[in-house]
Amino acid sequence: METAEIRIGVYICHCGINIASTVDVDSVRDSISKLPNVIVSRDFKYMCSDPGQELVIKDIKEKGLNRIVVASCSPRMHEPTFRMTIQQAGLNPYCLEMANIREQCSWVHEDREYATEKAVKLVSAAVAKASLLEPLEEKEVEVRPEALVIGGGIAGIQASLDIADAGFKVYLVEREPSIGGHMAQLDKTFPTLDCSACILTPRMVEVERHPNIELLSYSEVIDVSGYIGNFHVKVRKKPRYIKMDKCTGCGMCAEACIMKGRIISEFDVGMGKRSVPYIPFPYAVPSKYTMDSENCLFITKGKCGKSPACKDACSSDAVDFEQKEEIVELDVGTIVVATGFDLFDAKEKPEYGYGLYDNVLSGLEFERLVSSSGPTQGKIIIGGKEPKNVVFVQCVGSRDKSVGNEYCSRVCCMYTAKQAHLVHEKLPDAKLTVFYMDIRAFGKGYEEFYDRVREEGVRYIRGNVSEIIKKGDRLLVMAEDTLLGEPVDIEADLVVLATGIVPRRDVKEVANLLKISQSPDGFFLEGHPKMRPVDTATDGIYLAGCAQGPKDIPDTVAQAKGAASSAMTKMARGKVKVEVTTASVDTFVCRGCGRCVEVCEYGAPNLEEVEPGILVSQINDSICKGCGACSVACPSGAISMKHFKNEQILSQIEAVI
Amino acid sequence: MSEEFEPNIVGFACNWCSYAGADLAGTSRMKYPPNIRIIRVMCSGRVSPAFILKAFQMGADGVLVTGCHPGDCHYIAGNLKCEKTMGTTRKLIDVLGIGEERLRLEWVSASEGSKFADVVTDFTNRIRGLGPLSGKSQG
Amino acid sequence: MNSEAIVKETRAYHCLECGVCTSSCPVARVNPSFSPRLLVEKAIFGFGDEIVRDRDLWSCLVCGRCTSRCPSNVDYLNFIKEMRIEASKLGQKGLFSHDGIFNTIMELQSLSLQQKRTFWITDDLEVADEGECFYFVGCLPYFDLVFGEGGYCDVGLKPTDRARNTVRILNKMGIKPVVSNDERCCGHDLLWNGDLEGFRRLAELNLKTIKKSGAKKVICLCPEGYVTLKRDYPLYLGEQDLEVVQLYRLLADKLKEGKLNFVESGSDNPVKVTFHDPCSLGRIAEIYEEPREILSGIPGIELVEMERNRADALCCGTSGWVNCSSCSKQIQIERLKEAEATGADILLTACPKCGIHLSCAKYNSDIKIEIKDITDLIVEKMV
Ligand SMILES: Cc1cc2nc3c(=O)[nH]c(=O)nc-3n(C[C@H](O)[C@H](O)[C@H](O)COP(=O)(O)OP(=O)(O)OC[C@H]3O[C@@H](n4cnc5c(N)ncnc54)[C@H](O)[C@@H]3O)c2cc1C
Ligand code: SF4
Ligand code: SF4
Ligand code: SF4
Ligand code: SF4
Ligand code: FES
Repeated sequence: METAEIRIGVYICHCGINIASTVDVDSVRDSISKLPNVIVSRDFKYMCSDPGQELVIKDIKEKGLNRIVVASCSPRMHEPTFRMTIQQAGLNPYCLEMANIREQCSWVHEDREYATEKAVKLVSAAVAKASLLEPLEEKEVEVRPEALVIGGGIAGIQASLDIADAGFKVYLVEREPSIGGHMAQLDKTFPTLDCSACILTPRMVEVERHPNIELLSYSEVIDVSGYIGNFHVKVRKKPRYIKMDKCTGCGMCAEACIMKGRIISEFDVGMGKRSVPYIPFPYAVPSKYTMDSENCLFITKGKCGKSPACKDACSSDAVDFEQKEEIVELDVGTIVVATGFDLFDAKEKPEYGYGLYDNVLSGLEFERLVSSSGPTQGKIIIGGKEPKNVVFVQCVGSRDKSVGNEYCSRVCCMYTAKQAHLVHEKLPDAKLTVFYMDIRAFGKGYEEFYDRVREEGVRYIRGNVSEIIKKGDRLLVMAEDTLLGEPVDIEADLVVLATGIVPRRDVKEVANLLKISQSPDGFFLEGHPKMRPVDTATDGIYLAGCAQGPKDIPDTVAQAKGAASSAMTKMARGKVKVEVTTASVDTFVCRGCGRCVEVCEYGAPNLEEVEPGILVSQINDSICKGCGACSVACPSGAISMKHFKNEQILSQIEAVI
Repeated sequence: MSEEFEPNIVGFACNWCSYAGADLAGTSRMKYPPNIRIIRVMCSGRVSPAFILKAFQMGADGVLVTGCHPGDCHYIAGNLKCEKTMGTTRKLIDVLGIGEERLRLEWVSASEGSKFADVVTDFTNRIRGLGPLSGKSQG
Repeated sequence: MNSEAIVKETRAYHCLECGVCTSSCPVARVNPSFSPRLLVEKAIFGFGDEIVRDRDLWSCLVCGRCTSRCPSNVDYLNFIKEMRIEASKLGQKGLFSHDGIFNTIMELQSLSLQQKRTFWITDDLEVADEGECFYFVGCLPYFDLVFGEGGYCDVGLKPTDRARNTVRILNKMGIKPVVSNDERCCGHDLLWNGDLEGFRRLAELNLKTIKKSGAKKVICLCPEGYVTLKRDYPLYLGEQDLEVVQLYRLLADKLKEGKLNFVESGSDNPVKVTFHDPCSLGRIAEIYEEPREILSGIPGIELVEMERNRADALCCGTSGWVNCSSCSKQIQIERLKEAEATGADILLTACPKCGIHLSCAKYNSDIKIEIKDITDLIVEKMV
């Protein structure tokens, strides 16, 4: 705190005639000159002009002014200008207060007497606040040239490659044994029908080979602290029980495992089987085996035959049951969150018989079924037979408030069209019906693709399926054709549910870990729906792919590139300015109640135990945005908002009335 | 000046939407009564109930708090927090006998210059109709 | 009064520099920079100017532990009060908790506004506009809005429960009390924060209201309200023809007369409760035994005393809505732990403000003990 006497200079702008024609500037000047601490009170034609600014600078130097009030246009317009002016004269830029007597006075009022009276009040309030203003220091923090990417689906892969190509180090953390995400499970992709593996695999391999990317697969982020420029991250590397450096990916262990073919393959969504040591899919990256510890007899029971067959079978001695989890600590400047989505669990709509009838499949199961790398090598066989009648049901778990998902999943219309096309290609005689509510073919080439599928003879019926029941060994699909207004019952050998995209089951934990928010639909919340679609409210953390909301691959890739570029911008500059007008805590006053922690959207306050049992809030001013919510919530008055202190605002209130 | 009662109205506007909305009313040369004096805060969530009560104690006849529309707050949800604290404040001033209708909370976006002018006009007229806050020391 | 006069008036000259005050002071224990002894010393040596600008002038809880133990009978409480009055004249004030809303609420009550403070009265309560007996409610309705459910500083209790309890109990005793919408804050906090003028305004308005109702007797639940009406109104506004009664004193009498009766306990296992003596009720008004007599009259209740009870009781940590701080929190946690250490299930308070402050300290802490008001228990059990 300065102890020096407060010396205020007040400058009232005519703004040509914009202010002066409605406000009696002379009278305002004279009234204000009588206020305490006001050393000079002047008026000038254009304060923002060079001579206007010179006037201020000259007075500061000659009259020893240390607080400046400019009464002119909106501070949203010229606050930066006048801050620079007073800085040139050696004053701290925050020793400026503006009174808005143009936009909020002369331009909106007509009565000269009233407008003048109001202008006097507004300027008095500015003077009152100026007397209490304190100089503030601007701060920059360094941004480390390293990024963390969480999630190795197509979004994470793309973001990692872009950042790494720009010359920054990337740590890519993937929870599963392989990167690839959902895209690796898809067969062909709409609307161009590229084979998913064919376009994805090269990118996965690139990740593995890239000198700037360190892939931490089968790993999870367990702790994040710090802020933009300097996040400290802890990653748990789960034990694979197979040494990465020794494993050649030959698969002898899996061949030898006595549980071979008895464990459900997650990758094939329950339709295929595997061994305990496994590689999720043939072109996995890294192409190393992982021991499924939950199902391994040796790990769970301590014994597997005389000695574990896998260990004996491995010629490179890679199997290592002694392996322990490892905690890796990283320091990064920016973070890209690309944790993707989960598929809607169709069991939540029991009327569709999913989980009950083998011939009701989810969209993803169907992808595996038609994939040549899938459990049937791509043959569409259901119950030993080729289906003659296939029904597709759209919007399962999307646009459905009864299951809490109000939104559209954005891919199901198109993947249904794609899947219908794939059946038509493989079984040209099969009768194909799609039940839909609306067709959303909004992307490039989508409407054309939908048109093509209809041309192939796929029947589209507008109506939502109400129920699917068993009829002999077939299924009866019941709905109303809403265009004809009559009920339709269709017998089917196979029903494919276009299951939607939902937030990851652990989305809340990840949100808490990163201190980022979720939108009402449960996905991560972007900084602004239009202007900051890849940012989060937390500086330095960006979103890519379905983690932010349902999207198709082209949009996912585009957003990943956007997130990468945002991260790169910060790292390339190497420094960021942080908010100056932040909250600060008087640690003596703070009661450690935690209300500030509860109320802050950014995770800036943290309770720290300064002495046993004594908690004190510490607000990280590199994170704080200065909204002031904590200060209102704080019961003891421990928090003060720089530049918007209670005393400052109260003094304005007093002066304005 | 007419002899009609001219109320004192204190306004709080958040920097990002409402203050900008008020500026837009100005740049569009819309007219509204001069009774309101706006104090800029970064977010409506900064407006402490203490500010409102103080304003009434100092002699305000009405207080208008404006913030971004729900979902648009620059700080995510400061406006919703404001709504909650204003709920308490409204009850407090009602029990104090000031009358809850003397406090108004409105969402005004940066593009709603005309809404700002309308709200201020309407609020000023209402407060004028209510008359001076009885009991306040008249200066 | 200048500081010399204050020193004289409050017998500060007699200070023996023994340090009993400082070592008794709960604030000094957690904030070593605060010392009642040094404050008195400074005043004696003519550093009154320093005291009135000292933040610590507002840290004193006016709990009276020091005064009650001072071997020289230095009137420390009045010393603080007078010093604060002087400080106020210079525009000095403490750091208000809750951004100062309560202070403003008190001041607003001195305007001639038509309050709606009786909203808490439910249909089953019998109250009158005029009568013998005036129930002085105090600021409970305002506390309700801030600290009760839905308030922006919810601490998990409903302060007006105490008011309803009081009326229910009085009704049971055959008393239909006057409850007035024109009542104001008693002025206690303004007085003790040095705003003598504000206090006078409120006091005058209250006396007018009480007299208008025809009441000759005022019943207070809130101990601060009680001492203010009983002691400070006559002190500053002259003798009043009013009998001011503290609810527990009244009830203890009724109990003896056999007019307050409780249901028989349904269980063999008594509920263990402990009782926190509020500073104003205990050390100031010296009402220690009455609440205990009432509690011992309730079947199925076992009162277990905290280590420090009666005149030794610890303060609830803050007063007058100023300088509530980490010190207050530490004092409160210490008190709550002391209560838990008795093995009691319930901590009973007899002051609505103690209830609020202690509940506030419980917020986000690992303290489990339930906090209730004695009147909660009485209403639950009386027949
Ligand atoms: C049935 C179906 C068919 C589809 N067909 C098409 C199509 O034909 N064309 C098209 O354009 N789009 C299609 N899509 C959409 C496409 O799948 C998505 O756009 C794309 O997969 C999104 O990629 P992503 O990286 O955002 O998420 P994901 O693919 O879900 O990847 C996320 C990755 O993050 C990992 N992860 C998650 N949480 C963590 C964590 N906490 N820590 C570390 N790692 C974590 C996951 O293991 C996963 O590898 C289809 C979707 C479905 C459901
Ligand atoms: S001012 Fe806002 S951003 Fe800063 S700590 Fe407080 S609540 Fe968080
Ligand atoms: S809200 Fe205030 S008292 Fe509570 S922890 Fe935060 S700063 Fe401390
Ligand atoms: S009254 Fe209480 S808080 Fe104040 S000095 Fe004495 S013991 Fe300490
Ligand atoms: S202890 Fe009392 S004064 Fe302090 S913050 Fe809590 S309720 Fe407010
Ligand atoms: S920034 Fe406008 S209400 Fe929060």
